[in-house]
Amino acid sequence: MNPNVKKTFQPLASLQLTVVLFAMAMFLIFAGTLAQVHQGIWTVMRLYFRSFVVWIDLQLFVPINIAEIPGRFPFPGGFVIGTLMMINLIAAHSMRFKLTSKRAGILILHMGIVLLLVGELITAVFAQEGNMTIDEGSYANYTEDIRQAELAVIDASSPDYDQVVVIPESILVDYGDPIRDSRLPFDVTVIEWMPNSRLFGPMGAPPGLKPRATAGTGKGVVAQRIARATGVDGQNVDAPSAYIKLSHEGQSLGTWLVSLYLDDAQRVTVGGKSYKLSLRFKRDYKPYTMHLIDFRHDKFVGTQKPRNFSSLIRLVDPVNREDRQVLIYMNNPLRYGGETFYQSAFKEGDTGTILQVVRNPGWLLPYISCTLVSVGMLLHFGLNLTKFVRKVGL
Amino acid sequence: MTSPGRAFPWIAVLLASAFLLNHARPAKNNGPYDFQQIRRIPVSADGRVKPLDTVARNSLMIISGRQTFRLNGLRQPAIRWLADTIARPEQSRGYDVFRIDHPDVLALMGLTHADGKRFSFDTIMTHQNTISKQAQQAMQITGKKRNPFQKHLLKLYRHLILFSRLSQLDTPYTVPPVDGRESWEPMSKIMHAVHQSDSNMPASAAYITSIMSAYNQNDPQRFNRIASQYHHYLKSLMPRDVRKTGYEIFFNDFEPFYLATVLYVIAFVLACMSFLLRCLSRPVWPESLGKAAVWLLILTFVVHTFGLGSRIYLQGRPPVTNLYSSAVFIGWGCVLLALFLERLFRLGLGSITAAVIGFVTLIIAHNLGGDGDTMEMMQAVLDSNFWLSTHVIAVTVGYSATFLAGFLAILFILLGVFTPVLKPELFKSLGKMVYGVVCFAMLLSFVGTVLGGIWADQSWGRFWGWDPKENGAVLIVLMNALILHARWGGMIRERGMMVLAIAGNIITSWSWFGTNMLGVGLHSYGFMDSAIFWMFAFVCSQLLLMGLGMLPTKMWRSFSKPEAQQPTQPTPSV
Repeated sequence: MNPNVKKTFQPLASLQLTVVLFAMAMFLIFAGTLAQVHQGIWTVMRLYFRSFVVWIDLQLFVPINIAEIPGRFPFPGGFVIGTLMMINLIAAHSMRFKLTSKRAGILILHMGIVLLLVGELITAVFAQEGNMTIDEGSYANYTEDIRQAELAVIDASSPDYDQVVVIPESILVDYGDPIRDSRLPFDVTVIEWMPNSRLFGPMGAPPGLKPRATAGTGKGVVAQRIARATGVDGQNVDAPSAYIKLSHEGQSLGTWLVSLYLDDAQRVTVGGKSYKLSLRFKRDYKPYTMHLIDFRHDKFVGTQKPRNFSSLIRLVDPVNREDRQVLIYMNNPLRYGGETFYQSAFKEGDTGTILQVVRNPGWLLPYISCTLVSVGMLLHFGLNLTKFVRKVGL
Repeated sequence: MTSPGRAFPWIAVLLASAFLLNHARPAKNNGPYDFQQIRRIPVSADGRVKPLDTVARNSLMIISGRQTFRLNGLRQPAIRWLADTIARPEQSRGYDVFRIDHPDVLALMGLTHADGKRFSFDTIMTHQNTISKQAQQAMQITGKKRNPFQKHLLKLYRHLILFSRLSQLDTPYTVPPVDGRESWEPMSKIMHAVHQSDSNMPASAAYITSIMSAYNQNDPQRFNRIASQYHHYLKSLMPRDVRKTGYEIFFNDFEPFYLATVLYVIAFVLACMSFLLRCLSRPVWPESLGKAAVWLLILTFVVHTFGLGSRIYLQGRPPVTNLYSSAVFIGWGCVLLALFLERLFRLGLGSITAAVIGFVTLIIAHNLGGDGDTMEMMQAVLDSNFWLSTHVIAVTVGYSATFLAGFLAILFILLGVFTPVLKPELFKSLGKMVYGVVCFAMLLSFVGTVLGGIWADQSWGRFWGWDPKENGAVLIVLMNALILHARWGGMIRERGMMVLAIAGNIITSWSWFGTNMLGVGLHSYGFMDSAIFWMFAFVCSQLLLMGLGMLPTKMWRSFSKPEAQQPTQPTPSV
């Protein structure tokens, strides 16, 4: 290699940089773990591990009941540290590349590490997760993203199909101006968006909060903004609500409360035509349907502790001419059409199942990388150990 | 070598074996009642079939903090307490078994600690109204927000309920799935059904009722006879369960982990004496004492392994299912590795390490096992599968190895700073030991962590979820990788490696306990309160040791004296 090039790349390939990156990664992970006490796992993942820069609150490191510490500082996020690790590793190997039996183990294990980092990057960028809820005896053909909501306006006038127009959460959050679109039968103006909320009847409302909706089923209902869900517990899901104003050709159709808690769609009538309006988790429709034949929830005798959950599913895919039964249970997912279906939860009273549906094009990489790293380490350490043992004598 | 020195290891092992065999004998029976017969009756509780003895021990442990109780100054086994609770409740209600720690809870009943630590059901129930009123109020507050008084009060409240449920045979489920019945059922339900509709009482329930009434009417002969008949009746119908409960009785009586704890202490004393004499350059005894320590440790390790194996057999699960078993397993792994090091280096330090870590982890396990059955059943998602089992084992051995490296580093620093014995040979050997153990720790913790990811991918489709426990595991991998890369890059030498290895202790304890204290995540299977204090104390002690390790070498006793030969690197950089 050209000595000048070598000189330039020397610091990038140094073990000093490796050690510093390890220390920084450890700090980032530690902070990202503490942050989960106050913030949801997905927020933490986005802010700390899948970001370029993260602002870390000093308060994280001291419990608030001991001392209140304001202030925060910037720190490189997961993408930066991961990329630097990758550069460091590749630079080190290209500078000191030697294919000897002594270094074979190190080479193999580091190849595994590169794959692991690439796999996590692919997951970060491409993986999609959703939930599929199916009632016993019924079917579903879409997944829901429980981390995002959408406002759906449904024209159900045709007997054969529904025409659905949805406004994604990203537009709803950014409120103020009316949302106008030729596909929408009316203009929507968001007055207040609540990322997580609670609903009360008119009698049970906390003092100071009054019903604000003037139309629809939410008329007597009070919505209150509450703190967002924390931790990784699947049960803690944000349930957004919003007050919105609807108008048609400058004429007000009243103030409406839309909420994830209002299960049944509300009806809005415009120009003699009726539309359904509902705030729901973002849906992703599939070309196949899943029918839930039976859901089982076994408990250990005499306890409430779950022993097993399983869903007996009939999978119908008209495109691929599939019509068969599958059993999905704990630790035994169904892989179909590039997606994986896991038994995740169930509806209250065991009346239905909740499957987690994951599409991750990088799912195989960790398996390969784990094998490479393990083989590499065994080779490297094993060689050294046998050499040492032979020297000392056992 | 003189003959007493040569014979000493044999004598030590023989004495220890006699001690073990003495414990393996079945417990003797005092009095006319053959409690052995009812101890082994299989029942179902917390989703597992176990002997009545285990239920008695665990329940008494929960209520009283002990597995025995005092009656008229004499120590009595738990089964006696349970038998009285079921068949002679009016007597059992008078036993001082309810342990109350919080002074304010005592004050509710006009009592103080001067009146004792444990109180009877009758004493407490004279204040029934006050207690249930206070408990109702405390229940309005959700779990984490309760103050210590409310927590202790509710604990007492739960213990009272447990006592009532035991005395009414509501728990455990005593009627087995035999004579045409499909699942275990509580006696209370069967009795209710019999009273309601004149339906026939199943044979097993009839046996149990007769045993109880014989005990109630003070008829030991009938009691012993029917209990024995019931045993044979079940043996013919459910031989597998009866065999297993019989084994569990032996396990309960043998107390392998208690025995191992005692033997680890003895081995520690022997190993220390051997090391000391070696440093004083005495010719004869160090070798035989050292040998005795190693042999004793091997014997103890067998007992430890037996305990672990028994738990695996009884539970039908991999060795690590909760914090209690993780402590037992980490200790087991450390002892194995340390014995291996002793075999390689023969310095006596491996024995000392094995004995100390074996002892400490079993003590930790004992303190973690306080709240009930340590062989509890797992949530469905944690049900055994190949990836989970291998993940847990690999990661736990990784924890063990990291602790072992940290402990050796502590020895290095203490010996170096406070004694003159850290001579160049020992200096270098310890360096190699810690280096080797860190390599091993990295391999195992990495493989274990990735296997955990694979299991997560299999179970809920997410290879890596940045869950606190996962993060804790990856911190250990990164820490070990950091130590090794810093060593390879020449940034640290022996001493720096020791200081970082102790930092590894902090990281491991964080990953083992600290992440559970956060109370978030799928892995938070063991949230604890009081452990926070111990965790904090441990971290402080480790920081102190790291500070000691960073003192300039001229302040180390091993290096300061001019006559002591300097190691090849007299002032290793940190």
